[in-house]
Amino acid sequence: MANGKINITINGIEATVQKGSYLLQALRDNGVAVPTLCHHKDLTPSGTCRLCVGEVEQRGKKKLVTSCNFPVRGEIAVDTESERVETHRRVLAEMYLGRWPNVPLIQEVAAICGATDKEKYRSELTDENPKACILCTHCVRACDEFIQERILDFAGRGIKRHLTMPFGEVDPHCIGCTSCAYVCPTGAIEVVDDMNHPVDPQMIRDFGMRINAEMAMLDKDQCRMREVGTANIVDVMDAYDLLPVHNYKFGSHENTKNIDSKILKARYYTQDHPDGCWKGCSMACAKAVDGFELRTGPYKGDRVVVDGPEYETAAAGANMGCFDADFIIEWNFYCDTYGIDTISFGTCMAFVMEAFEAGVITTEHTGGKELKFGATGAVMECMHEIAVGEGFGVEVGQGIRYLKEKWIRELGADADFLQDIGMEVKGLEYSEYVCKESLAQQAGYTMAVKGPQHDEAWLIFMDMVNNQIPTFEDKARALYYYPLWRTWFGLHGLCKLIWNDIVPLSNKNYEPQVAAKVPDHVEDFFRFYEGMTGEPLDEEGMLAQSARVHNLQRVMTRMLGYGLRKDDMPPYRAVGPVTAEEYESRAERYNKQLEELAGFDTKGKSTEEKMKAIREYRMDQYNRVVDAAYDKRGWTRNGVPKIERLKELGIDLPRLVEIIKDDQE
Amino acid sequence: MILVNNRDKVEWREGMTVQDVLDAMGYDYALITVTIEGTFVPEHDYETCTVPDGSKVGLFHLAHGG
Ligand code: SF4
Ligand code: SF4
Ligand code: FES
Repeated sequence: MANGKINITINGIEATVQKGSYLLQALRDNGVAVPTLCHHKDLTPSGTCRLCVGEVEQRGKKKLVTSCNFPVRGEIAVDTESERVETHRRVLAEMYLGRWPNVPLIQEVAAICGATDKEKYRSELTDENPKACILCTHCVRACDEFIQERILDFAGRGIKRHLTMPFGEVDPHCIGCTSCAYVCPTGAIEVVDDMNHPVDPQMIRDFGMRINAEMAMLDKDQCRMREVGTANIVDVMDAYDLLPVHNYKFGSHENTKNIDSKILKARYYTQDHPDGCWKGCSMACAKAVDGFELRTGPYKGDRVVVDGPEYETAAAGANMGCFDADFIIEWNFYCDTYGIDTISFGTCMAFVMEAFEAGVITTEHTGGKELKFGATGAVMECMHEIAVGEGFGVEVGQGIRYLKEKWIRELGADADFLQDIGMEVKGLEYSEYVCKESLAQQAGYTMAVKGPQHDEAWLIFMDMVNNQIPTFEDKARALYYYPLWRTWFGLHGLCKLIWNDIVPLSNKNYEPQVAAKVPDHVEDFFRFYEGMTGEPLDEEGMLAQSARVHNLQRVMTRMLGYGLRKDDMPPYRAVGPVTAEEYESRAERYNKQLEELAGFDTKGKSTEEKMKAIREYRMDQYNRVVDAAYDKRGWTRNGVPKIERLKELGIDLPRLVEIIKDDQE
Repeated sequence: MILVNNRDKVEWREGMTVQDVLDAMGYDYALITVTIEGTFVPEHDYETCTVPDGSKVGLFHLAHGG
């Protein structure tokens, strides 16, 4: 049959089921009630309780199978009401009842199976506790599948089988996620300590577990966070021409294969367990490299553990033209050890390299270092110089804005060129995404209060690939909602990755504009808030809370002398091609855009003429997006919150109004 | 001709499936939602669901990372 469907007979009635699905699911989908003890919807079936049996007839042979772990592969007939099945179930249920007579779940299942006699199998094993452990293995599987740990397991055989932690002691590897307690059907595992005293711990657990179960089931087909962490997008970004290469000149490179997630997984990553950064989260996005032998610096020759590399670190390698995984890991280690941010350093170094190749600086200025793209050794030298506080590295360590000013002042360098290629806004270096083809992302970066940090980087796909927010108003709406949403969950200590790096299957049922928000996860986050504080929250309430903080931040930047439109202006490299080399490398794209969108006839025009035209077109578009976004946010044309907006948000405090009153229109 | 995401044109051919359109666009991203004329197509139908000539196809990538 088409689409992997298969015909089977259930209790004499024809039914169509998905090939390969488990029989229990097929039965339940067709309205057949089946008693179970060890089955759990979010866990792989274990087939231990044997209550879910059915009598299956295949090629003339009949046999009893446990339906929860029996995959339907061929055309079968199944009977769940036969004498044999009913007797099997009843006897089993009587035995369970004899052993755990007061556990409500057992009583319920026994009633379904027609077992009423509590005395028949009573013995010295009988446990009168209504919260007794019934050996269903839910907790063991949850710990294994959600957390990838085996903290809990069974010890002893036969009637002596019981649940325990290794050596009967509390295991320090237990991350306290409470998954085991959550899936326990009897209450045998109890949570005794609720840190932070939430108003409704059960609510938080209910919604948190939904996310943990999704991770266990969906991650392997979605972002592979557990396998390779955020580095999974090195490959994706390269494929979509978004991976920064040579100071954001290009979006992909033939050597990306040397640093992508495949190579990192095959040759380097060792850790695949949650690192406990967020108590109870089972995503396990953190990766580590064990036993890595350092080749430079004060720890040369030592074998060390390296935390990473994450996407941004690997991508910064590409940005510096260093497609060398050994280098990236060594550099990652020393950045961590010296307390240096890999993004800021990588982006700054990429700028230095371009300036070096363009002749703005020479070995005379770099202390003899040939700082061309790909110069891994020279990058490490600069790095160690930052740490000891001498040499050219000290200057690199002060960032792009500092270097631009210094080189213009002292070397008479071309100020326009440096402004175009120095990837910083508000003094912060760009994170590692090429945003030339996404207007919304360009503005998302520049308008972020803290500068172009990777927090704001997710509008690229919505805008550039999906064309989901085509008009300026659409983009302005996205530039309103998403930064506020991000600000909100950041303020509450919630992580972005569990919001949209694993998305529930149900997300496919929403139309794309809504799906982009991952509404079910937004709902989960609101429930975390409610469980913690006792107050319900919806989108409107969230936006109001967040907008207060966001506007307060904007007023504060004004107080510090920034916060005007000029501070939201990007280097042109973030918007379009600065050099002829860049234009030519994507000439087809740019020519097409000029012809179709800008109404510019490219025939017979030189690259310089076309570059000038596309620059005018793109900067005009950029300014229009900013206008629309300011307007939507209730800010002036110059990017300052209007006093009415502060009133609306209830934060028109005299001290704040004082700061912005001269900037009003 | 098929119009993808209201912008990109893909040459149509007889029997073209959703998977063929994804391949033609070079999209192999994990979190893509597909619609044909606004109607959602589930993932297990990508190989079998054919796309009529002149259709508007939505290939929506959910953002992730960072
Ligand atoms: S709390 Fe989590 S990590 Fe600890 S035993 Fe239970 S499932 Fe395992
Ligand atoms: S503790 Fe609970 S979940 Fe674990 S085996 Fe016992 S009854 Fe099942
Ligand atoms: S539910 Fe199938 S064996 Fe327990």
